[in-house]
Amino acid sequence: MRHRSRVMMLAALLSAMLMAAGCSQRQSSQALFAELGGEPGISAVVENLMYRVADDSHIVGFFANTNIDLFVASLEQQLCDISDGPCDYQGPPMDRAHQHMGLDDSHFNRLVEHLDAAMIEEGLPLRTRNRLFARLAPLHAEIMRLQ
Amino acid sequence: MRVIRSLRHILWRFVCAALLAALSLNVSAGSRLLATGGVTQIEGAAGGGLSPWAVLAGTASSGEVGLTAMGTRAWLNDYRLSVGGVGLNLHDHLELSLARQRLDLTTLGGELEQTIVGGKLRLFGDLLYHPWGIWSLGVQHKWLEDGALPRAVGATDTRGTDLYLSGSKLWFSAIAGRNLVTNLTLRHSAANQGGLLGYGGDAKDSASLLVEGSLGVFITPNWIIGAEYRQKPDNLSFAEEDDWQSLYSAYFFSKQVSLTAAWLELGSIAGLADQRGGYVSLQFAY
Repeated sequence: MRHRSRVMMLAALLSAMLMAAGCSQRQSSQALFAELGGEPGISAVVENLMYRVADDSHIVGFFANTNIDLFVASLEQQLCDISDGPCDYQGPPMDRAHQHMGLDDSHFNRLVEHLDAAMIEEGLPLRTRNRLFARLAPLHAEIMRLQ
Repeated sequence: MRVIRSLRHILWRFVCAALLAALSLNVSAGSRLLATGGVTQIEGAAGGGLSPWAVLAGTASSGEVGLTAMGTRAWLNDYRLSVGGVGLNLHDHLELSLARQRLDLTTLGGELEQTIVGGKLRLFGDLLYHPWGIWSLGVQHKWLEDGALPRAVGATDTRGTDLYLSGSKLWFSAIAGRNLVTNLTLRHSAANQGGLLGYGGDAKDSASLLVEGSLGVFITPNWIIGAEYRQKPDNLSFAEEDDWQSLYSAYFFSKQVSLTAAWLELGSIAGLADQRGGYVSLQFAY
């Protein structure tokens, strides 16, 4: 009997979590692009991110031969596309864009931390940040494919 | 006996060194994101409270080394468990851990002490970025300091080795925009009450394949709440052994310091029913 009540407790917790997940699905009807503040919002996040990268001696070297204006425009376009905004990413595929750069998880994680900090500073709420990370997480495999 | 004492001495010095290092102001943390190393479970592996997770200790990533130190105490109706441990993360591929448990038998009188040396090898994947999450293979070798009581109640051995396969995955924005962590661990073990009552017994002498699982929701990036379940074998005829469950809340003040509080439901232990109570664990990492 006691055992059954404990199983019931866990089952109740699990179903509450699943129901909450269902609710979040319905709330997600607004496009992520709008949650990010549209093109101005994305542009502000990217600019903030670039300042953080410039200050990080561990990863700034990877941008030594990068045309920063082109890079910023391409990243903005990619974030717009990936968040269902009215853009079509025209840049190179992620594996070719990063091939043979010698990237490992520590570099990737640093960039993720900078992006999160940039989004926090630009006032984006947790759910919006998490929604964007959900879209960006699969890029890890592509970026690491040709290292 | 002298070996055990010197081992305890070494463990204590490790913990002190780690505490000092973590408390000093300019410590560097690994580059993995906050909380992605979980906390330290009661056997010293990175995980939840009761069960190991597939993640490796601390926040060390490729090319980095991390060290964790933890102190844990649980107050049950008739027992009190104290654990101290250290973990080492090498390049986020291999975790080595050392833990020391003491179970005070506050009702029955006496105490049981156990040392656990652990290793965890990351097989593949990543908690955050891989579609299948991260998967690791772990081993925990444990030995009791004084096996008289476990032998008296029917245990076959006073040392044993657990093997486990663990998978963990974080699901971004899974519940009301919050991230969900799920973990599944399969353990091959003959340990009675985690080894504190020895290994194998008169009712069943062989190892069992056991399931452990946990769920957690990150309410904020610093704060996770959730539940854990750990299946247990039932090898001793003198007393029934129940599965373990917990509800937990862990707060990460920074990559260096986390505090976990939990409510444990451990069922019957050595003939004393309804063992439940509070659990507190403090972890330092750098």
